[in-house]
Amino acid sequence: MSKGRPEPADILSLVAEKANSLPLPERRAFLLRGLALAGAAAAGPVLAAVDPDDALPPNIPPWTRSLGRGVVTVPYGVPSEFEANVIRRTVPWLTANNISSISFTPLPELKGIITPNGLVFERYHAGVPDIDPDQHRLMIHGMVERPLVLTMNDLMRFPSVSVIRFIECPANGGMEWRGAQMEALQFTHGMLSCCEWTGVPLSVLLEEVGLKKGAAWILAEGADGAAMTRSIPLEKALDDTLVVYAQNGEALRPEQGYPVRLLNPGWEGNTSVKWLRRLEIGDQPWYQREETSKYTDLMPDGRARKFSFTQETNSVITFPCPEKPLTQRGRYEIEGLAWSGRGRIRSVDISLDGGVNWRRAELKGLVLPKALTRFSFMWDWDGSPALLQSRAIDETGYVQPTLTQLRAVRGVESIYHKNSIHTWRLAETGEVTNVQID
Amino acid sequence: MSRSTSGGFSPGHILAGVLGLLCVGFAPLTMAADATRVPEGPSIGPDVAAVEISLAFRPKPDPQRVGYYGFGETATPAMIAGWDIDVRPDGRGLPPGSGSVADGEGLYEEKCAACHGTFGEGEGRWPMIAGGFDTLTESRPEKTVGSYWPYASTLWDYVHRTMPFYEPQSLADDEVYAIVAYVLYLNDLVEEDFVLTRANLATIEMPNREGFFVDPRPDVRNVACMEDCKDPKKIRITGDSTELGVTPVEHFKGEAETAGATAAVVDPNPGQKVYQQACATCHKGGLAGAPIVGDQTQWRSRMAQGMDVLADHAINGYQGSVGYMPPKGGQVQLTDDEVTAAVRYMIENSSD
Repeated sequence: MSKGRPEPADILSLVAEKANSLPLPERRAFLLRGLALAGAAAAGPVLAAVDPDDALPPNIPPWTRSLGRGVVTVPYGVPSEFEANVIRRTVPWLTANNISSISFTPLPELKGIITPNGLVFERYHAGVPDIDPDQHRLMIHGMVERPLVLTMNDLMRFPSVSVIRFIECPANGGMEWRGAQMEALQFTHGMLSCCEWTGVPLSVLLEEVGLKKGAAWILAEGADGAAMTRSIPLEKALDDTLVVYAQNGEALRPEQGYPVRLLNPGWEGNTSVKWLRRLEIGDQPWYQREETSKYTDLMPDGRARKFSFTQETNSVITFPCPEKPLTQRGRYEIEGLAWSGRGRIRSVDISLDGGVNWRRAELKGLVLPKALTRFSFMWDWDGSPALLQSRAIDETGYVQPTLTQLRAVRGVESIYHKNSIHTWRLAETGEVTNVQID
Repeated sequence: MSRSTSGGFSPGHILAGVLGLLCVGFAPLTMAADATRVPEGPSIGPDVAAVEISLAFRPKPDPQRVGYYGFGETATPAMIAGWDIDVRPDGRGLPPGSGSVADGEGLYEEKCAACHGTFGEGEGRWPMIAGGFDTLTESRPEKTVGSYWPYASTLWDYVHRTMPFYEPQSLADDEVYAIVAYVLYLNDLVEEDFVLTRANLATIEMPNREGFFVDPRPDVRNVACMEDCKDPKKIRITGDSTELGVTPVEHFKGEAETAGATAAVVDPNPGQKVYQQACATCHKGGLAGAPIVGDQTQWRSRMAQGMDVLADHAINGYQGSVGYMPPKGGQVQLTDDEVTAAVRYMIENSSD
């Protein structure tokens, strides 16, 4: 050890000395953080009770004058505890209990187009199973030449693809058919998330098993307590359906189907069966519970639409919104999200006057098919009340409709697929509320 | 619109082979084609030349192995038989067996009525499964097995695959036949002496069988008007969510509220909420041998064991002589304190 280089013990005493020189309220926090260097893992973040003004200029904040946590203090990183408000939430009365229920993604807090894995909305019919991937199998059988059972390792040996796609529950916004009742963006539109998904094209697996003549539908089944099933037309399966095992660069979260799920891009989220254990190929649909009793759209004449798979073009302004009001007059960037189950978003228009006049917004960042697309509109708010709306148009030319137009055709009892132009009322106070207008 | 602009991955030559092979398979696919068709309007290409970077590279298959990588093992008939549980409207997939309305009545009372109601009317927000005839055109339609479901096979399949809610795939095939027979009876679709069998299930005509049609969307056509699109004087606010006040808002309006003196409100009964969320499914109606809250006789002997024992059973699980208590009722996200509070709540509401 060369002269002048301190021994580890000296560093510790230096740490202690340094701590003693700190203002008293900061000392404990400093010691807990600093001494984590000596191996005290998971000391956890400690918020020093510091007078807030002490951190502001011209003062030097305590975190500048102390050491932070060392590496792997938190081996799997978590958000800052100041972000504790950014969580999934539910509306308890929507369902009988929390096992067969839904939660909502905090859209007001998200940036860009990717939903972090821990914030992807949840929809379970029998809760989240904890599946050991070594004990999990994917069976493919029915009208095939070579019925197969695949382990997760088998599945991961196939060449993989990664795509950014949204998943939306078709009931997103469904509480608003009769009138405005959700008081937050998280609840009006939060059954919606967008991730990068990695897996194997289902077409590759179907070629592997060899389809028999007459094959036309595929039944996808989950391994959870609901053994959730949906019939998928073969045409979709051969187009862009994936069997995915990863989201945003890591294994699927248990909530999202770990270890493997189906992904039907642009289609109602329910068809992207989670905890996928079985794919059966047949010549006709199975008419399972989730494609008869549920996920059918009742029309005013008492008849119902079936196989209403596509999530049509939709958009919503995410700032401002009820959770994120305006705080003062001046320049603002109005932001929002647009998406279409039929392809790319072509353009988004903004209205500030309840749909009398519209102006083109900018699309920001990646504009991908069947993915969330972020839009932006710079605005000088003079403090006047306003009715804010966004209207998306997709690459097929489909223009997001008004609620009045949808109700004229579908009535108010169809539950699913409400993709109408949404209205936020901005008050002079800057407060934003969810309203519906004629 | 070409496939590549419609959003899928480029199918490449693997897929081309499959598509060629499957031409004949597309004949029955008109429904699917309808469901996914796009509107025929003016030809509009994407005006954003975005390249999907994540799709730029796709591994090329080994020509020697196209269509046959050889991964995995063959699914044997025995394997398939164990997992292939789906039943179609034509009855395909039904196992041998039968069950009578009479047998179904007792099973239904024991395993189904706590949630679905004695007459299928539904308890609380659990699904109503009987009645509701002629309500589909009314406000608040009642979509039950009898009024809405198009096929009896769906009921058999669903009960067998995931009912009862707290114990899925626990019913014997004959029990499923019997419960399905009884639910059909509750809907006035079969007589009291009816026996449901593998042979007759597909012949049952459900009243709403013809009540479904394939999705015709896009069904509305808005236009992208830009100026003077409507008369501003005629704009009327028809609904305001804040008038109802039915959704949680504390997380963004809470600061102002908790900044006041009301911040330290203590829930006087923390166990009640946990009970309603996690325990009531079984302990309200006595499913799976669970002691019913409010039934002093059932609780007396259990309470004699002491709070510590009951809390331990509730937290860690317990196999009793009349039933099984899963650890935390299967809701492992609950803390031990929450479970204990719920046990206390149930005891308080089940003692003299």
